[in-house]
Amino acid sequence: MAAIKTHNLTKKYGEHTAVDNLNLEIREGELFSLLGINGAGKTTTVKMLATLTTPTSGDALVLGNSILTDAQKIKENIDISMQESAIARKLTVEENVDFYARLSGQSEAEISDNKRRVFDIFGLSEVSGKLASQLSGGWQRKLSIALALVTRPKVLFLDEPTLGLDVIARRELWRAISEMKGSLTIILTTHYMEEAEALSDRIGIMKDGKMLFVGTKEELFRISDTKSVEDAFINIVEGAGKNA
Amino acid sequence: MRKSLSRILTLTKRNIKEILREPLSLIFMMAMPLVMQVLFYLIFHGLTDQFEMKYLAPGIVVFAEAFLSLFAGLLISVDRGTSFLTRLCVSPAKPYEFIFGYTLALLPLSLMQSVIFFTVGALIDPTILSAGIILSLLLSLVTSLLFIGFGILFGSLCTEKSVGGIASIVIAGQSVLSGMWFPTEGMSDGFLAVMRALPFKNATDLIKNSALGITDVNSELLMPLLVLLIYTVLVFGGAILVFKSKMKNR
Repeated sequence: MAAIKTHNLTKKYGEHTAVDNLNLEIREGELFSLLGINGAGKTTTVKMLATLTTPTSGDALVLGNSILTDAQKIKENIDISMQESAIARKLTVEENVDFYARLSGQSEAEISDNKRRVFDIFGLSEVSGKLASQLSGGWQRKLSIALALVTRPKVLFLDEPTLGLDVIARRELWRAISEMKGSLTIILTTHYMEEAEALSDRIGIMKDGKMLFVGTKEELFRISDTKSVEDAFINIVEGAGKNA
Repeated sequence: MRKSLSRILTLTKRNIKEILREPLSLIFMMAMPLVMQVLFYLIFHGLTDQFEMKYLAPGIVVFAEAFLSLFAGLLISVDRGTSFLTRLCVSPAKPYEFIFGYTLALLPLSLMQSVIFFTVGALIDPTILSAGIILSLLLSLVTSLLFIGFGILFGSLCTEKSVGGIASIVIAGQSVLSGMWFPTEGMSDGFLAVMRALPFKNATDLIKNSALGITDVNSELLMPLLVLLIYTVLVFGGAILVFKSKMKNR
């Protein structure tokens, strides 16, 4: 079953078309990576699917609910980790996790279980009592994703989750994301090709608001006659540029 | 309904923690009006009625509430400036729940301010103590709503950098147009009419009249309360609309 299905999804800002007639289907339990250069429309797509901004035209179904008419139902089943760490800076790590869990309307038993789960996945116990503002960038990003996960979403949007992190912190986050795979649908936007290669079930490549390719890594290598996601990405994006 | 109340409570608790963990702002909010209360009394009392403690303390209570517009505005604009509020927009919480969360977190702060200024006033001049102060404290919750509403409106509209400038208009309005620092006798009828049409003098009159003891319910209590409530409803209505619109397209 499709976790997400878009129908001619379009977003325009004045004359500029950020997302252009997007038709995409993402299966339940899949980790789908959206790749694209700056301004390709990745974040705008995620924002529309997460009900943060309304499309200019078209629609999308998230878990069978329309982003135009059923936003509240969608919000009860999704979560997002933004490019910036979206944390309450003057709350401790434990308070942040508790705050988000409670806001999602869980029972006390669920809150306790889910807090323990994300603490385990992200190793948050060692920084539990620290104020979020005192954490390093890597820990803040981990906390930000943990907050998205503690609400037990069925669909999780990760918008550039490792942007600006050092290589060790990035690998730690990859490990945590890998542990989540299969248990929920994840839509990941990233600039890092190796990240998409390591984590994705399928990859989508966007340019100028249009989806140029959707498929598995193997299909991507075959169609572009390359052996890495980075080379394939460059081939496809530059090819689209020449054809334009 | 139960889920909604639980979310409001969760948001309120978070906001209270955020406020209490910013001690400098808190001290500024409390200390500045307190210093003014004591200094103005010491310097000017005996020279003009305006600065007798029975008039000064209620005036300071409302003056300090005006700072809530700055405080609330900063809290919301900072939340908006980071991804924090954007992230919360994906939660099931609705715009009015956020507004309640901010408001309920600031009301106890406002009450605490009022208690402190009346207590300090009573320590300096014990003759101000009366049963009317209880009513005055209760009404101060109503007057503070106006300034919290201004803060939510400004915080939804402005950035962290610009919110201070806009909120200072309200603080200046409360200083100049409330009649607390200057005697209103001798002012032109036109200027007095403007003061009566705006919420600042009505808020001050409401707290002052109730603390001194109401002798005419209509003119001393109901009229200023009505004007204040109209402004509060308008400001809160605007704040909810702006907040909702900002949340919808982030």
